[in-house]
Amino acid sequence: MKVIVSRSGGMAGIRLTWEVRVEEQPDPATWADFLNSLPWDDVTDSEATPDRFAYRIRCAPHEVVLAEPQVNGPWRDLVNRVKAANGM
Amino acid sequence: MRAVKTRCCNVGGRCQTLHMNTPQLGPGPHQYCTIVPPYLLVRLAKLDDPRFAQAAAAARQSLLRDSQIRQLRGGAHPFPYSGARTLPARTPGQSDRTISDADGQERLPGRRVRAEGQPAGSDPAVNEAYTSLGATQNLFWTQFGRDSIDGAGLPMDATVHYGKQYDNAFWDGERMVFGDGDGQVFNRFTISPSVIGHELTHGVTQFTANLQYQGQSGALNESISDVFGALVEQHTKTQSTNEASWLIGEGLFTDQVEGVALRSMKAPGTAYNDDVLGKDPQPSSMAGYVETEDDNGGVHLNSGIPNRAFYLVAEALGGNAWETPGRIWYDTLTGTGVGRASDFAAFAAATAQTAATLYGIGGAAHDAVLRAWATVGVLAGPE
Repeated sequence: MKVIVSRSGGMAGIRLTWEVRVEEQPDPATWADFLNSLPWDDVTDSEATPDRFAYRIRCAPHEVVLAEPQVNGPWRDLVNRVKAANGM
Repeated sequence: MRAVKTRCCNVGGRCQTLHMNTPQLGPGPHQYCTIVPPYLLVRLAKLDDPRFAQAAAAARQSLLRDSQIRQLRGGAHPFPYSGARTLPARTPGQSDRTISDADGQERLPGRRVRAEGQPAGSDPAVNEAYTSLGATQNLFWTQFGRDSIDGAGLPMDATVHYGKQYDNAFWDGERMVFGDGDGQVFNRFTISPSVIGHELTHGVTQFTANLQYQGQSGALNESISDVFGALVEQHTKTQSTNEASWLIGEGLFTDQVEGVALRSMKAPGTAYNDDVLGKDPQPSSMAGYVETEDDNGGVHLNSGIPNRAFYLVAEALGGNAWETPGRIWYDTLTGTGVGRASDFAAFAAATAQTAATLYGIGGAAHDAVLRAWATVGVLAGPE
């Protein structure tokens, strides 16, 4: 199981991707529970606004695209965790 | 009050239909026209040669009157105006800046730290934001007769120190927001005047053509911000087309990055080539157009195509890019030829029409515009 966070857009328009392989983490069960608890089906479309980041989050079979202002609560937690696992 | 309807279509004149109540004319719609384009009035108004003193004074008067009309035009969001109400005293074209500090939080607007007219402090981000907002207002007002973001003197608000190590700057619909950068890849985003001009121009676009931020219309929205961002820098430094760098975000990368800027309008795709960031992915013509679902359909990538078209017009005409090329782009953005869903071809055709209207069919400007869009593969070449 892996989760991929891809951030595009921003004023710079530079795409960055962070990936986590759950089974390689020190606490894979916690990761799996957390990923399963995310509100994958509750994401709604949002009007794009200039120069904000766009996040594409993939964790098969799920894939969501979030505008930067939508990256709150558990999504924010996810992005921070994935970046931290990549040493960011 | 009597309803008056006037109509004029002079070459170089400006016509617009208004749908609102005005004290002089009664209920709309009305056509407001000025025969002398605002940029000429501005140029006349600035003349200090005593031989032209009378013309300069008349032009200044006309500009004052014009600015009131432009306030009535009000762009996409006209404000209600009734005859009984008097407008608050304000000198048209005077900037009204407020800089706030988010103190590393992601909450807006943050703590107000500098208002219009207050002296510079010790924080470079605050000083840079204040100075470049002033430079942007100066370009739009002196060259295009546009009074701030909405054309009606909207206060210019900005927030600095947004978030922690935040690698971005954006226009949120009401204010410009600047991050400090992470210090490894990005410096603070206020460091580049073209970035500040870019953000403020998103506001101008919102109040005019309001190009949808997706696909080709989104790439045009981005390109227009780069065009006027570059012009802010060139105008401030008094750099002609040949002297200018045509870079967006010069100085934004730290020394650790192999790159000179975020984008190059002169040579899209050449601004950086770095181990970590990869190579600048911007295409320089339609042959390299990027189809992607990321970045709202590649708005920051495909903007390289119209960016280069603008540069090619400036290169062909020489001199200062904020003059003829800037005027063509500005009039197109604020005219009726482009709208929310315009694509590259529609925008290109509109710039050609603007160039023909302002400077004559088949003239150097019209020809330069047609050739530029043909070179980048958007329009077929001239016959």
